[in-house]
Amino acid sequence: MRWKVSRWLTAVVVIAVVLAFIPTGNAQQKLKVGFIYVGPIGDYGWTNAHDVARRMVEQQLPVETLYVESVPEGKVEPFIDRLVGQGAKVIFTTSFGFMDGTVAAAQRYPNVVFAHASGFKRARNLATYMADFYQVYYLNGLMAGALTKTNKVGYVGAFPIPEVKRHLDAYALGVRYVNPQATINVRWLQDWFSPPKAKEATQALIADGVDVFAFTEDSPTVIQESAKKNLLSFAHYSPMYKFAPKQVVSGELVHWETIYLDFLRKVLAGKYTADNLQDVDYWWLLAEKAVEVGAEPGMMINPLFVSRLKSTTVKTVEFGTLSVYDLVQRRIAQMSKNPVVFDPFAGPIQDRKGVVRVPAGHTMTVGELTSMEWAAPGVTGPWPGEP
Amino acid sequence: MKQVGPFRLDTGEPSGAWTLVVSAAAILAAFVAAGGIFWAYGLNPIHAYAVIVHDTLLAPGAFPEIFRPTIPLLLAGVGLVLAFRAQFYNIGAEGQLLAGTVAATGVALFTPIRGPATLPAMFAAGFVAGALWGLLPSVLKLRLNVNEVITTLMMNYIALYFVSWLVTGPWKGPSVRGFAYTDQFPASAWLPLIPGTRIHWPTLVLGVVLAAAFAVLLARTRLGFAIRVQGENPEAARYVGIDALRTTLLVMLLSGGAAGLAGVGEVAGVHHKLLDPNQVSLGYGYTAIIVAWLARGKPLATLITATLFGLIYSSGDVMQVSLQMPFRVTSVFNGLILFFLIGSERLLAYRIRWAPAGAPASAPASAVAPSPPSGEDP
Amino acid sequence: MSWLIDVLIRGVAFGTPLLWGALGEIYAERAGIVNLGVEGMMILGAFFAFAVAQVSGHPVLGLAVAAVIGGSAALLHAFVSVTLRANQFVSGLALSMLGLGLAGLLGRGWEGSPLRTPLPELSVLPPLGALLAIVLWILLYHTRWGIILRTTGESPAAADAMGVNVSLVRYLAVIFGGMLAGVAGGFLSVAYRPSWTEGMTGGIGWIVVALAIFASWDPLRAVGAALLFGTLFHLSFRLQAWIPPEPLQMMPFAFTILVLAVTARWGARKWQAPEALGLPYLRGER
Repeated sequence: MRWKVSRWLTAVVVIAVVLAFIPTGNAQQKLKVGFIYVGPIGDYGWTNAHDVARRMVEQQLPVETLYVESVPEGKVEPFIDRLVGQGAKVIFTTSFGFMDGTVAAAQRYPNVVFAHASGFKRARNLATYMADFYQVYYLNGLMAGALTKTNKVGYVGAFPIPEVKRHLDAYALGVRYVNPQATINVRWLQDWFSPPKAKEATQALIADGVDVFAFTEDSPTVIQESAKKNLLSFAHYSPMYKFAPKQVVSGELVHWETIYLDFLRKVLAGKYTADNLQDVDYWWLLAEKAVEVGAEPGMMINPLFVSRLKSTTVKTVEFGTLSVYDLVQRRIAQMSKNPVVFDPFAGPIQDRKGVVRVPAGHTMTVGELTSMEWAAPGVTGPWPGEP
Repeated sequence: MKQVGPFRLDTGEPSGAWTLVVSAAAILAAFVAAGGIFWAYGLNPIHAYAVIVHDTLLAPGAFPEIFRPTIPLLLAGVGLVLAFRAQFYNIGAEGQLLAGTVAATGVALFTPIRGPATLPAMFAAGFVAGALWGLLPSVLKLRLNVNEVITTLMMNYIALYFVSWLVTGPWKGPSVRGFAYTDQFPASAWLPLIPGTRIHWPTLVLGVVLAAAFAVLLARTRLGFAIRVQGENPEAARYVGIDALRTTLLVMLLSGGAAGLAGVGEVAGVHHKLLDPNQVSLGYGYTAIIVAWLARGKPLATLITATLFGLIYSSGDVMQVSLQMPFRVTSVFNGLILFFLIGSERLLAYRIRWAPAGAPASAPASAVAPSPPSGEDP
Repeated sequence: MSWLIDVLIRGVAFGTPLLWGALGEIYAERAGIVNLGVEGMMILGAFFAFAVAQVSGHPVLGLAVAAVIGGSAALLHAFVSVTLRANQFVSGLALSMLGLGLAGLLGRGWEGSPLRTPLPELSVLPPLGALLAIVLWILLYHTRWGIILRTTGESPAAADAMGVNVSLVRYLAVIFGGMLAGVAGGFLSVAYRPSWTEGMTGGIGWIVVALAIFASWDPLRAVGAALLFGTLFHLSFRLQAWIPPEPLQMMPFAFTILVLAVTARWGARKWQAPEALGLPYLRGER
């Protein structure tokens, strides 16, 4: 007797149908908030920082969170569908590449609140938000300019896109403010996360004579690698002090939770609805405490480097001659005011080709910052898409 | 022949139905094994599967999502089936797919072709580009006997960096604020969707047609005969005067072209622009290798295997969203399913019959290949 | 001159995991079994080496455990492809998925801290790898074991006739390959970049598979191939000061094809793949 295919198939179908009707959902009263991440939580960079914030939100507010990690750009819409299907009423999409998908989904789900990180398109139910580092990179640049002995500081960049170029330029402006002879040597990875690439790029910069490092890559590779040669570095995104306690000077730390908590509190209070987000744009910086200067939370400057920064002086128009350490403190104070008293991208600024990019008396707008492409003076190395 | 209790085991070419039954059983077994993962993760496996079945098949809008990854897998997969039949181990579908995306983007953004001619022109250009991308490895293989596995793999990386260079450099769109994208395609370069879904149906139709066409080609044409003979016995192929060079070249052109079409579908049907290569394809060119192997040399079987992978991908998405599991769970799940599927291959060599002891050995119902010498004791 | 030495040192550093992985893959393939699961075995090795080294404080112990884990993962591939005679390519790909998945799941929470006791990058494994390559080359070409291994890969029926247990040889070769892949992964997490991050092998496993072929299944050539690839990879960042990044990053891959094409022009017959590579062996079948 031959095994009957139909009998097997029937059995499979019956099991499937039975499974399908077992009740699955359990009624929840809490507001459901969905997060769509571009990378894995385990990256110890961008996505990790968002997830740390998500967990803080879940602890501090009466909401239930859902997340999806490593979502490719082309799949953001289907994942939004699924999150909405799970009952999510607020959805955060955390990568620039999710912009068009989020806009389309916001149209399809007019009653769901959306917020998209780092983009520029808004709608009545779609806000934008960003915790940006350019001020912090500028401050790190001031320190790097004082600490370099070879007058060469390095930057390992992920992709040559405006966000990274903005940070790199801010860093370069800081370096050159303190040390006009210094160059900022650049290497590109074409990857947000690649320890081998970050490592060999660091080595290439070491061979150039670079002795202070900053970077945009989602791992502590650059720090670990430069520390082997006792070269200095600035932590990026996550607390990386412990990866090289003797070499990490300071760094850029993010607190996405400040934005998430503020936004969700307003949603819970009924202040933000799916009807009034057209002009809601969080561009949060030092003043809002969305970002922090530091090697790890609470440690603005590694104590090992304080005396060197205090003994290096710089002449300024505003404050006369003062130590770099004091300059950093003054600048932080200025940028912690709301509105800020100082902005690194206040004109006049020329690019490295000598073209005036920010005229005197003008400070770059958010729109200009998020689309900037030029390279600051002192930057050496390739610059894809240089205008 | 072998007697196990009241069953008799015969060996022979597996029937389609038997293949389906064994494969379904293998997948079920994999589900049971994967249930262990759910359990270890603190989820009731029965509940987990109930959620998966519901949210992949029955939840609103979920079912059509299965077919979105199916489309590129089907196109790239049928091409690979052809190449594998000719014993050409094309690992390069990913690169050929990317070549297709580049050509399609070029037509959509940088030629004056507009209106109803745009999409056909994009598909034609994508096919040609995919075919050409596969050309170098096949020429190297034929002329210099350079191993195609490595050259096709290397060509993938070259395509990847080429696309990356295009979108960060010369093709970066003036309207994208400096980000690494081309401009969006004009509307005439967007593939139509089945209403209410995200299925770009022209590409799906193309895939089905191609699967059928390749099946006919293999079974009914001189080229198909040449491919089969060369694949099964290159010596014999030479003996009967088959031009290995011509056969392999044609196969690679078709194989690469099919992958190129898959690329056109992705940019014209999903992204509507060219972007970072890792975002364009999601490794479809590599998964298509598995799709093709599981199809066991039959172009039409890729219809089933590509859909199976669509289903697997979809279940993976559900595990992440509905069950809130990390995305790596899907790799474990997919790996297990694959192991069980191919592990069951051996079962396929047997047909099980009811033959209680004492009963006369019944003759096989259908003509099967003679069993090999019984030197083997499992 | 010092520039050249510097670049070569980087080539050795990045070439080391490539070499260890490739040596293992060469032995497996010499026995006739393709294992595309290198990426999966490497990442498992990377995770376990890190975890063990972090807890115990002994990176070498971590590497040893990575070898055992890599070998165990390979055992699965051996069972499926030798005993079940299933498709080796799919089995290997499945192993890669399984390895990446398991390492990703197990590794949760281990990211974000450096290894307390890292192994100096150039200390143990690079010289040992070169030595291993020489030993494996001698074993392969100048001992009876080598004849057995090669015959198993070229013609399992002939090996069978010689009285060789084909399955056993294949099992051992695949497991050995997995152990080396595990060590290669361990090198990444305890020496090359002493910390754990999800997905940290970043595709090196696939390069390893390509290198085994590139080296035409010869352990000594694998040394040159790994060094060449490591050097090119480093150079693609070194030369960025003068040349834009993307063409440079294409370079190692384009160069590999070029070298293959050029050497194939004058290549000898023995450069070919093992005759029975990828084919399951069934006694009595020809």
